[in-house]
Parts: sequence; C-alpha cells; structure tokens
Amino acid sequence: MDESKNHILSRDKTSLVMRLVRSAFLWAVPFILIAAMIILWFYRSSTLTLFDDPLDATVTSLIASADSQLDDLRTGEIISLTREPLDPRYQQALSGRYWLIGQIYRDGRIVPLRASRSMAGESLKITARNADLLFDSPGVTLRARTIGPDKEPLRFAARMAFLPGLDDTPLAMIAAADSRPASRAILRFTFLAIGLMSILILGVIFAVFMQVRIGLKPLFDLRKQVVSVREGRDVRVSGNFPSEIYPLANELNGLIDHNSDVVQRARTHVSNLAHALKTPIAVLQNEAEQKKLLRSSMVRRQTDSMKKQVDHHLQRARAATRGQTIGALTPVKDIVDALARTMPRIYRDKNVNVKTDIAKGLVFRGEKRDLDEILGNLIDNAFKWTRSYVEITARNAPHDETMLEVIVIDNGPGIAEKDYEEAIKRGARLDETTPGTGFGLAIVDDLARAYKGYMHLSSGRDGGLCVSVSLPRRVYE
Amino acid sequence: MRILIVEDDVDLSRQLSESLKDVGYAVDIANDGEEGHFLGDTEPYDAVVLDLGLPQIDGISILQKWRTDGRKFPVIILTARDQWSEKVAGFDAGADDYLTKPFHSEELLARLRALVRRAAGHTTDSIDIGTLHVDNRAARAFVDGMPIKLTSHEFRLLSYMAVHKGRVISRTELVEHIYDQDFDRDSNTIEVFVGRLRRKIGTDRIETVRGLGYRLMDPDQGSSEE
Repeated sequence: MDESKNHILSRDKTSLVMRLVRSAFLWAVPFILIAAMIILWFYRSSTLTLFDDPLDATVTSLIASADSQLDDLRTGEIISLTREPLDPRYQQALSGRYWLIGQIYRDGRIVPLRASRSMAGESLKITARNADLLFDSPGVTLRARTIGPDKEPLRFAARMAFLPGLDDTPLAMIAAADSRPASRAILRFTFLAIGLMSILILGVIFAVFMQVRIGLKPLFDLRKQVVSVREGRDVRVSGNFPSEIYPLANELNGLIDHNSDVVQRARTHVSNLAHALKTPIAVLQNEAEQKKLLRSSMVRRQTDSMKKQVDHHLQRARAATRGQTIGALTPVKDIVDALARTMPRIYRDKNVNVKTDIAKGLVFRGEKRDLDEILGNLIDNAFKWTRSYVEITARNAPHDETMLEVIVIDNGPGIAEKDYEEAIKRGARLDETTPGTGFGLAIVDDLARAYKGYMHLSSGRDGGLCVSVSLPRRVYE
Repeated sequence: MRILIVEDDVDLSRQLSESLKDVGYAVDIANDGEEGHFLGDTEPYDAVVLDLGLPQIDGISILQKWRTDGRKFPVIILTARDQWSEKVAGFDAGADDYLTKPFHSEELLARLRALVRRAAGHTTDSIDIGTLHVDNRAARAFVDGMPIKLTSHEFRLLSYMAVHKGRVISRTELVEHIYDQDFDRDSNTIEVFVGRLRRKIGTDRIETVRGLGYRLMDPDQGSSEE
C-alpha cells in the first residue's frame, strides 16, 4: 500500500512559498534594474547637458567676438576679441574653466592663438580622431573629453570657424571645463540609485514573501486541519476558508465521510452476511441435536465447522477495517462504565467487586466498536477468572504522550509467565478457537497492534492476571 | 412454567418450542415484534426468549416497553449480534441474560432454568418439599427417593407449584402458567390434573385453600409454614 502511494505521490523539493517568491524575484529584479539603468542614463545626460550648455555658449560667444588683427603691433596678438567671456574663472590661473582659440592639426595638437588667462600659457591636446571630426564637420560643435593644463579631466566644446583675414586657416574655438564636479554628481546619484534600488528589491521580495504567506495562510490552515483530523484531534475539517479553498475543504470532509461510509458499509455488509448465516446454523445444529437423525453427528460436525468459519471470517473482516476510519474518537470512560455495569449482570452468580479508575477526558483515537471489543474481551476475561474483584484503570501512558494505557487486574488463578505467549497465540488461531473458551486476549492483541499499540501480560498483586494495553489517544493542544 | 419465544425464524422458533416442551415448559411463539410485545404485555410468562432483529418492532424496543410498563419476567436475549456494545444495550434495556447464535439448545435450557429459578428465589434446579424432590433440570420428580411417572402437564403443574412452594396459587394462575396460549383453558381440567397429581405424590402434599386455590407443602411441617 505504501509502495503504491509512493508511485502516485512524490514530493517536490521546492515549497510553494519559495516558488512564488522565486518567480516574483525573477520578474521584479530585472524590471527594477532596467528602471535603474534608465534613470541613471537620464540623470547622466541631463547633467552633461547642463554642463555642456555654458561651454557651447562660450564657444558661440568666442566665434561672435573673435577677429583677426595681423597688424596690431601693440599687443602682438593675431586674434582680437570684441568681448571676452565674462566668467571670472577664465581669469584665474588653472581654475578648471578655459577657453582657447587656436590652430589645430590633424594629430590633435593645438597651437593657441588666443587663450583665457586661466590656461596659464599652456595648451590643450585632443585626440587625432576628435581633430578629424572637427575638420570633417566644420560648423558643428564637438563635445569630448581631454586632459587640462593642471592634468585635470576636462570636458570641452569645440567648433571650427574661419575668421576674416584668415580665410584659408580654420581656427578651433574651444571652451573646456573641469568635468570632475559633474562626474562626482553622476557617481553620487549612481550610488544613491543603486542603494535605493537594492532597498526596493529587498522590499519587494519581503512584500512578496509576506503576501504569499498571508495569501497561502488558509492553505496552511487547511493542512493543519487535515493533520489534526489524521491524528484524531478533530473529526472533520472545520474553520473559515476563502472561496478558493472552501471547495477543497468541503471535498476533504466529503472524502472523510465517504471513507467512514465505506468502512461502515463494509462492516455492515459482512456483519449482515454472517448474522444471516448464524440463525440457519443454529437451526441445523439444534435439528441435529434434537432429532437424533441418521448421521446427526455429521450434521453437527458440519454446522460446527460452518460456525467456526463464520466467526473466523467475521473476525477477519472486522480486523481488515480496523483503524481505517479517519478521525474517529471514543471516550474511554463511557465504554468502561457500560461494561462495568453489564459484566456483573452476565456473571450474576459470581459476587465480583468492580473498581474503575478512569482519567478524566481520556479519549481513544479510534473506533468505538474496536475499543468495545478490546475492553469487552479484557473485562470479560477478568470476570470469568477472578475470585472476588476486577480493577480497571485507564490513564495517559507514562512514557508516550500520544498513547493511553488500560490496565485490567483480577485475582483469579492468573497465567504462568511461560504460558503468556501461548495464551495470546491460542486465540490468534481463530479457526481453532471454540467461542467462549479462548481468552480473547489474541483479539485484544491483534486490535492493539492494528492501532500501533501493544498488549502486555503480567502478574496481578494477588496472583491474578494483569493485562495492560496501550492505544493511541486524543492529544489536546 | 410458561415461556414466550419471540423469534422471526420459523424453523428456529419451532425447534426451541419443541426443546422447551420436551423439558416440561408451556411455550408460546411470536414471529414478529408486534405480536411478541402484545403477548408479553398481556400474558403472565415465567420467562421470555427474545430475538433482537425482528420485523415491525425490534427486540430492544419491545424489552424497553415491557420494562417501562412494569413487566418483570426474566428475559433472555437470543441473537446473532455478538458485539459488546450490543450486549451492553441489551442488558441496559432490561435483559437478564444474553445468548448469541448459533448456540447449543442445552445451553439455552440451562440459562432459562437459571433465570426462572433465580426469579423465584431458588439457588438450584432441584427443589425439595419434605420427601418430595422435584428435579427441573431432568424434568423428573421423586417421592422418598423413588421416581414417579408424570405426564408433561402433570410435571408442569408440579414444577410450577414447587417453584412457588408454600404460596397459595389460584386456578387462573395455574392455567396461565401451565398451558400455552392455544390450549383450551378450562379451569376444571386443573382440578382433574391436581387430583391425578395428588394420587401420584400423596394427597396431603397439595392443600386446597377454599376460594383461593392450591398450595404445595410439606405435610410433616403443616400448612402454616412455608
């Protein structure tokens, strides 16, 4: 049975919670990363645009105000400016803000013809590729990076322009600025963005995890309920479930009911069959006894054999359905009280003193009729053999919190220790047991085992038999 | 002694009836719950053999009704139901004994005898009234140790009077407890049986109490003692 279960049911290593969290992680993280990259790109381009705009304006102003004056002997300068760019940083040496008008070569060298004071007599050098771009696209502003006179990283704007009088030599108009503040701002923003996005990712994962836990809580509750039913703490699945889970819980209850119905039907069926046979057997038996028929001994033998078969199969059918019903609970006291009330009537010719001590709230996790049969056989056996008293004790098992223990003691002749095994075996071979003459202990032993319990025989304090049986009990949480 | 058998299986009830008649009981049979309840409710039986699975009214309900209505005759349940809970239910409903099918008729007879005996307050199946010895188990009687030959009706009469020895028993009571339902109940026949019984066991053992009935007594101890 276990094997067939394994064929159908296998356990996926990942939990439902982890699957949901992982799938949320898989879509949320790339989305957040892409969003972060877009934001970073946007911030960077905005920052650079803001950075480049003043440089562009300076270049434009240089073109507008520059003029050639090859014959100006006073200053010795070839280029004159009608108005120099106003920013005071152009006046301060190596301030990080520069402008320059010069002749450019294809290799990127620039021979300055006029430069801001901040250049401190140095020149700039651009890459050959940038130089080519300038030559190839006159009138278009080039924006690129270079190294400044103070070895600082610069971002510059440059455009080629022809000045009157120097028509054959295009001059490069360059404005440059230290790019480090902009780079720092971009870097700061990048760190900030990464930090925020990381927090966002963690937050999303946590939120998803919590959402899944809360969302799946009814499912976990249902699982607990099913375990509870299986372990006998509850009889059916109960509780408040959302509309998606409710049908499942309902179906589970249906399944539990169906299970108990099937067991009940099987029992009823076999019991009806056997009971229906019992009366005809009784008739045949009596006929054989009364009429002294020819071969009446044969009829009697046959009816005895039929009776044994019926008893045997009835016992087997009962045993087959034992412990099968899920969630059955039986209070121990009710059964013990009923039997303790009935036995003295059955053994009314014997003056037996019955003492019961049943722990309060003790509930057997199993079928009523099974507990009936266990206790009925034990107490009947004790009454059959006792001289004067029968003591019945039921309590929680001392060493196993999931089990209960029933102890029945009499002061009859008892059983020698060496015969314990035989006493149990005798009844176990049901087809060889004459009803009423066996100990019934075998049935008790079978039943206890079916419930994963055990039966233990020992000597009572007055030499009688002491039988203790352990059975599963309802565990209160 | 008059016994009621409430059993729906015709063969079984017939067999039981024959077995009981063989040992000196008057027997009535009811084959369904309603008739069984009615008979038990209206006739004074000395014991009842009651099946549980009956048509119309089940055995437990019949028994409960009888007990509620104050019917005190001993009842032995004879059923195929052998679960402890069913036995408990049977005893709780007021049964005095419980026998499961299939059974040997000797066992049923022994248990019935024990019930009737217990109901009358006796401890054994044999009753001694002076030198008269009535053995209900063997359905025989002895005077001074010598067996006496009795017909079935004579033994029933003697047995009933022996069980209730020392008590004045009316003719009606004797009729009710000795004859089964189908018998022609003419109380004059009781007088005939009493006369025949007197001749066989000794005339002074059965005293006629005028206007009341008969009393079985030990002639050596006189009529004032039981």
